[in-house]
Amino acid sequence: MSKSKPKQASSEQETPLGLYLHVPFCSTSCDFCGFYQIQSDRKGILSYIDGVKRELELVDAGNRKLDTMFWGGGTPGLLPAADMLKVGAAITDELGMPSQEWTVEMAPSSVKRDKLEALKEAGVTRISMGIQSLNERLLDALGRQHSLKQIHKAYDLIREVGFHSVNVDLIFAIPTQTEEEWRADVRGALALEPDHLSTYCLTFEEDTALFIKLQQGKVSIDPDREARFYTAMWEEAQRGGFEQYEISNYARPGHACLHNVNTWKMAQWIGVGPSASSQWAGTRHTNTPDLKDWLAGLERGERGLVDRVVLNDGLLLEDSLIFGLRMNEGVDLAQLGQRFGRDLTQIALFDQLVEEGQAERVGPSLRLTPKGRMVADAVGEALLGSFG
Amino acid sequence: METVNKRNFSIIAHVDHGKTTLSDRLLEHTNTVAQRVLEAQHLDSMDLERERGITIKSHPVTLVYPAKDGKTYQLNLADTPGHVDFSYEVSRSLAACEGALLLIDAAQGVEAQTVANAHLAEEQGLTIIPVINKIDLPSANLELCLQQLEDLLAIPAEDAILASGKTGIGIEDILEAVVTRIPPPRWSDYQATRCLVFDSVYDAYRGAIAFVRVFSGSIKPKDQVLMMSDHTRAEVKEVGVFTPAQKKVDSLEAGDVGYLVCNIKNPADIKVGDTITQNANPAEEMLPGYKEVRPMVFSGIYPVETNDFEKLKSSMGKLQLNDAAFSFQAESSVALGFGFRCGFLGLLHMEIIQERIRREYGVDIISTYPSVVYKVRKQNGDEIEVDNPINLPDPSHIETIFEPTIVAHIHVPNDCVGDILALVMEKRGSCERTDTLDGTRLILECILPLNEILVDFNDRLKSITRGYGSMEYELGEYRPAKLVKMDILVNGEPVDAFSSIVHAEKAHTKGGELCTKLADIIPPHLFKIAVQAAIGGKIVARDNVRTMRKDVTAKCYGGDISRKRKLLDKQKEGKRKMKNIGNVSIPPDAFIKVLKND
Repeated sequence: MSKSKPKQASSEQETPLGLYLHVPFCSTSCDFCGFYQIQSDRKGILSYIDGVKRELELVDAGNRKLDTMFWGGGTPGLLPAADMLKVGAAITDELGMPSQEWTVEMAPSSVKRDKLEALKEAGVTRISMGIQSLNERLLDALGRQHSLKQIHKAYDLIREVGFHSVNVDLIFAIPTQTEEEWRADVRGALALEPDHLSTYCLTFEEDTALFIKLQQGKVSIDPDREARFYTAMWEEAQRGGFEQYEISNYARPGHACLHNVNTWKMAQWIGVGPSASSQWAGTRHTNTPDLKDWLAGLERGERGLVDRVVLNDGLLLEDSLIFGLRMNEGVDLAQLGQRFGRDLTQIALFDQLVEEGQAERVGPSLRLTPKGRMVADAVGEALLGSFG
Repeated sequence: METVNKRNFSIIAHVDHGKTTLSDRLLEHTNTVAQRVLEAQHLDSMDLERERGITIKSHPVTLVYPAKDGKTYQLNLADTPGHVDFSYEVSRSLAACEGALLLIDAAQGVEAQTVANAHLAEEQGLTIIPVINKIDLPSANLELCLQQLEDLLAIPAEDAILASGKTGIGIEDILEAVVTRIPPPRWSDYQATRCLVFDSVYDAYRGAIAFVRVFSGSIKPKDQVLMMSDHTRAEVKEVGVFTPAQKKVDSLEAGDVGYLVCNIKNPADIKVGDTITQNANPAEEMLPGYKEVRPMVFSGIYPVETNDFEKLKSSMGKLQLNDAAFSFQAESSVALGFGFRCGFLGLLHMEIIQERIRREYGVDIISTYPSVVYKVRKQNGDEIEVDNPINLPDPSHIETIFEPTIVAHIHVPNDCVGDILALVMEKRGSCERTDTLDGTRLILECILPLNEILVDFNDRLKSITRGYGSMEYELGEYRPAKLVKMDILVNGEPVDAFSSIVHAEKAHTKGGELCTKLADIIPPHLFKIAVQAAIGGKIVARDNVRTMRKDVTAKCYGGDISRKRKLLDKQKEGKRKMKNIGNVSIPPDAFIKVLKND
């Protein structure tokens, strides 16, 4: 494909390339999770590994090599060590070892020494562990299947085996959670001394147990409370020497997740596995979110059939702004203007954001202030359709 | 049936005094409608009428009653609209009768509308049969009701029939009283045919249908008839009676109540109050009391979705077919686009029409601030009528503005008089007379500007008097007033739909109230938005719409940009349902919400 579009190929050479692998297996289903996941069994795992290989055969990456790789899910850590190695080799044989970063998500309950050693051996540089909370009551409220003890044991093991970067995920604004409990969670997580911290305000995704509770009126959404929790998070992170670099992400210097940052900067990525999304070869598309359908499609030599969008400069510019402004460094308007051939010096919306104290200009960059970050969706909504 | 064995009567009452339930019992008792098909409130067939417990259209029905004297009588019952907005309709329905049952709620006693309706009935020369209803209620106070009857209405207490529409007590007595006390049809020996039109409905197949009371002569299919108000001629296609369903008959005779289908398509050509006579032998005088109904309150109605304009137009057309008092004509607003200027009998009428457009025709609409009809005398001597604030001439061209007033009779408990007088003052009214109603209540006769009572007067009256106060009114004269046009600006842009004509001295207060309310109704926006009230370019009040405090969601991982875009798009879609003025999204109900007092 890259041969028939020489111009596209040259720009593809310039932007980083990532690979996102979706591993759909979970041991149980969490009340808040809206990602595609199924219970694992041997037969399913084998067909999945086979599918990954097939899909990689269908991806024509030319001579491109990976910069980053991210395994998410589901629970990638649920795969047995040998299977992880097989999948890893299938990818790196085809696309090379990621030159910058390789992240694998793990759940505390599935962290085992043999798996960690296998991953380290394979070249994984970063482990991301969803601990969600350090409060037993709230862990229960989330329907999670791990204990505080498991969290600590898993974290120590990861550190013992040794990875360049370790991230822990927390969830906040859980029903009944107090602001004090939330601060305690953040402090507890920072006390683990991770390199990276992701904190997600609980969202009510359709088709989740929590969403049903919301509809039944058993829980409610209170934006003011959520705003207080966000602010508390900022304060605690700062106190702990962590720098926020995106709405939900904090890191020690040099430990931001490159894979995600590249995504938000509208680089390129190949999504492999059911429900994985790609932005690659001039289109954006998503794999069907069903293991069987995904396999059947691959059987016919098809992938990425959902939400197929042909990319154009306007759309990419718009998304660079929408997603770029979610990052603390903001967007470099001069650079974006050059990349997409648009003059971004006189955009009324930007002036107004600055005027109202929701954004600030730093050199050629525009970035949101804490006040603006709190309404980043509204900013994104205002940008939607203005360039694309 | 012989004319002497016919009786025409109506039931009049204050709202909620049990009129419709009692009518149902009469239908049931005379086997007009079998019990199993008798839905609660059979006669109020419109959903809205049932929900609100009010009657909007008249629902005549003919009952056949074998009386104790051994003769069988034909009783024509007209269930009349029960709200002050429809008082002309009430008066025409009454004009079609010789008698009226005056219903009084045993627990509530005589109310303002009871008195007003009793007077209306007396003016029509009707025999009044007082009925104390709901006597089964534990809170019934018979003694007080009977005392009020004598004191307030000068009706002997012994005339009263004690009844309960709920349990059926007194129904037989009422039917006997209708036969024995109400006189047989009047004016039946007039030398020519005269039929009074007291309502009309539209039928898609048969066209306009007139509801008539035949006073003299007879009428049958193929007759050439004459509408006496404007001398239009028509041919009768069908006549019939109400059972209460329409049932075709060969002819209608003196004393009958029934319906008339002519070769008239447009219901506006059939005027309530008109007299229909035979073209071959026309009557010389019309039946008394005809007048042109003129809308009192005007408001703009606009589709939320611009594409719905045609749908709205056709819905209004259909509504008008059954409601000649409702008028509309196309207009356009800078803020709202293309819509209609609509005329209503009053605020209730306005609400009902709006509700029906939404519900029965499924069109989302927004309405502008209601206005009365002002008379403006210009400097050059011209006099114009203004029913839309945006049409008010430039102040430099105005000599005097005249506003319509009403004469209101307000019934209030003694201990609330002070507060009510304060309310009347606040509404720029004056109290002309005070009468004692009974030991506990007073009647205040007040003159008030119509525009002051449009929005919340009745609600305030009810709340001050804890529901015991009541009011009825008639139109008074036009009088000069110091009025100005107040504009509302949202984010610096005037929103013409919110413009109103207010008294100069109240502009500040009113502007402040409006701004605060509107600022509260408009959902939080990304940017600071000012809501301002201005008079002649000068800002008199302002408030700010809340800015959004939190609108951010996490999770855009695994690179599903399309999904996040879809979520943002969904969020944006929610705002498309609002009216966007400048870059401000105003919810469609904001326009009506600002009018309501909470």
